[in-house]
Amino acid sequence: MVIFALAVSAAFALLSKNKMSERVRYAVWAFLAFLVVAIGIGWLMYPFTR
Amino acid sequence: MAESQKAPETVNPALVLVAAAAGWFVPGLGHALLKKWGKAIVYFCAIALLVIVGLRMRGNMFSSSAADAFDMLGFLADIGNGVFYFLSGSINPAGADVSRASGDYGTRLIATAGVLNFLCVLEVLQIGFGGKPRREEEHTPA
Repeated sequence: MVIFALAVSAAFALLSKNKMSERVRYAVWAFLAFLVVAIGIGWLMYPFTR
Repeated sequence: MAESQKAPETVNPALVLVAAAAGWFVPGLGHALLKKWGKAIVYFCAIALLVIVGLRMRGNMFSSSAADAFDMLGFLADIGNGVFYFLSGSINPAGADVSRASGDYGTRLIATAGVLNFLCVLEVLQIGFGGKPRREEEHTPA
């Protein structure tokens, strides 16, 4: 999941932003958002595992 | 034209199409042909990482002989990986195993890499045909 988030956020940052500072900010934001959302949804699904 | 603005660089349309095809076959090569070295390296590393990890997790690379619409969508996503699609048998000689969760996750990583490469090809076309500034400086305020 971390590898996925890292690769996709880096590619999205380069695709969507033009300035280096914007790219870095967007990549960090997207990377953290991927992790937080994935872990959050994982915990939300936890009660339904059994 | 203001002094601070630069005239857009003209690129041969044939070169753009060749770059797009090359970018599909080898991720990042299209950007390299347009001399966008940084993007080329990042795109290649990101897509190669996703595909190789996905294949090592024993993810499934869909073939063109799709049984249903979802398999066809999977094939369309996977074919975006270009050379990695054709080398998948060499990268993971053991083949796919989606009976375990890791194989299923690997399948998603491979599909993501393919779609990501299609986005990169679209960006090559956008840069080449002038829809996007070719240089970062053109976006900085004067």
